[in-house]
Amino acid sequence: MDLSRVHKELRECNKDVEVSGIHIALKSDSLTHLVGTIPGPLGTPYEGGTFKIDIILTDGYPFEPPKMKFVTKVWHPNISSQSGAICLDILKDQWSPALTLKTALLSIQALLSAPEPGDPQDAVVAQQYLKEYPTFVSTARYWTEAFAKESSLGVAEKVQRLVEMGFPEDLVRSALEAAGGDENLALEKLCTA
Amino acid sequence: MEISEKVKKLIDDELKDLDDSSEKISEAFTCCVCLDLLYKPIVLACGHVSCFWCVHKSMSGLRESHCPICRNPYHHFPTICQMLHFILLKMYPISYKRREIQISEFEREADCFSPQLEDRVCKGQTEQEACHANNSQMRVDDTEASSFVVDHGDFHPTVANGTCQTITVDDALCTFCNQLVYHPVVLNCGHVFCESCTLVQKNEMIKCAKCEIAHPGRIPKVCLELDNFLEEQFPTEYALRKSSVQLKQSCGQQESPSTCSAGDAKESSPVLTSSGGHPLSWWGDHKVHIAAGCDSCGMFPIIGDRYKCKDCVEAIGFDLCGDCYNTRSKLPGRFNQQHTPEHQFELMRPNSIRNIMWRLLRDVSSAPSSTPDTPESGVTVVPSLSDDARESAESGFVTPSETGDTEEDQSNDHEEDSM
Repeated sequence: MDLSRVHKELRECNKDVEVSGIHIALKSDSLTHLVGTIPGPLGTPYEGGTFKIDIILTDGYPFEPPKMKFVTKVWHPNISSQSGAICLDILKDQWSPALTLKTALLSIQALLSAPEPGDPQDAVVAQQYLKEYPTFVSTARYWTEAFAKESSLGVAEKVQRLVEMGFPEDLVRSALEAAGGDENLALEKLCTA
Repeated sequence: MEISEKVKKLIDDELKDLDDSSEKISEAFTCCVCLDLLYKPIVLACGHVSCFWCVHKSMSGLRESHCPICRNPYHHFPTICQMLHFILLKMYPISYKRREIQISEFEREADCFSPQLEDRVCKGQTEQEACHANNSQMRVDDTEASSFVVDHGDFHPTVANGTCQTITVDDALCTFCNQLVYHPVVLNCGHVFCESCTLVQKNEMIKCAKCEIAHPGRIPKVCLELDNFLEEQFPTEYALRKSSVQLKQSCGQQESPSTCSAGDAKESSPVLTSSGGHPLSWWGDHKVHIAAGCDSCGMFPIIGDRYKCKDCVEAIGFDLCGDCYNTRSKLPGRFNQQHTPEHQFELMRPNSIRNIMWRLLRDVSSAPSSTPDTPESGVTVVPSLSDDARESAESGFVTPSETGDTEEDQSNDHEEDSM
């Protein structure tokens, strides 16, 4: 795997988080397991939610697509409501080495705004989308409320508490990410670091 | 173990000494694949640029490849664009040195090597003269070993002394008209022409005016990155060239730079794009040599006949497609192989369906570009092509002796495909 490219990608992507809202963090010490964060697009049932995406880079990256799936539960025709698997061509045969993690995450964000029920990942959701659109919207909105918001609110509070203990904010954020949001684990990590 | 550690340390030390922070690399010269400064750049037929290894690794060993940026399909691995290589070397001496060290470490580990391009001080001497000298030499003594050091006659051994040299118009001359290149297009052989100069060649087959190598497919698209750079770098000369080209064109053709965005990408190689996405459908009615490329024209994977050198020891091997074998291509290998004309070739048969299925399942992802050995394939020994042996090769030496294997019977169907 091209490590220097992944380094560059992370640096570039996290440089303009304010603009794009897209953030990528390390899951472990190696660069092969990452977590991406995308904000739910405005004007959709996902608005206001923050969605986490698990990213695994294979040895073939960037000549093979990154393996991405939703960690945050989401109600969407092209995303499995069970496993979080994503049905998106650029993550499969339409991948190109000129795409990056950031552009892939942007594409996923675009997929949230523009579902394609004709090529579904989750047949149940797709059926609902086609036949009972209002129900679909309210379910998706409910899932966003239930799964994509609480954690993000929680994180802000956790970050604040840990920062008040005297840890720098960027360290706190990455420690929390690595600990999967577990405040105590993150604290342990910060103390041993 | 110890030695490789020592080498690593040496490399680290060397890299530490190179402080390239003073060099701000233009976005235009950043490779879209490795996101670093282009190193040994290759310009694809759609005009997009990438590094030698980035292009090579992006290519599919199973079927046609696509440009990482615009997905324009192509089937031939192009040669490094030396003009761009030397421009970058001049502009970013430190960063380019850093890239060289990085890549050579990668090459040592992978035991595959990119062509060596001699450093040179681009002063005065035009590439044209140098290449003529080089060509005639190649023609006179056919038997002489041709190493892949591209011989440009008047080189000075230069070191990256850290001073960015200024680019002159002499560094960016059209191979044909010898003036500042305007709307540059880069042929598969890596030579750069003005788009208007390629129109001179009216015959169907596009041939490089310099190295006389045929260019597969249509006239390439303008390399916009290079064009924009030259316009910025030499505003007066560029404007002059522009007006003179437009004047010429107003008599005849219309002015329309065919850039990639003009987009007839879909139809550019009718034979190869006809059969859709799945590899199986693609090689269905062709003889495809998976993950083996022609070292002369760059066809990858080879479709039709494939001749493999029996004497090249490099892991990547040395192969020629049927056409290049029959035209007695004298080009050196694409990966710095020490191939000589005395080497013997053997005709390889494409893997049987069973073999292919097995390979697909087993190691399609791990296969590098090199030549898959096929224990089951029958091998015909072919003598190297000295002058007298050539005729015997043409008079039916190629005919496979086996019968019953239907896909073997189309030994001539590659001719259309190699375009």
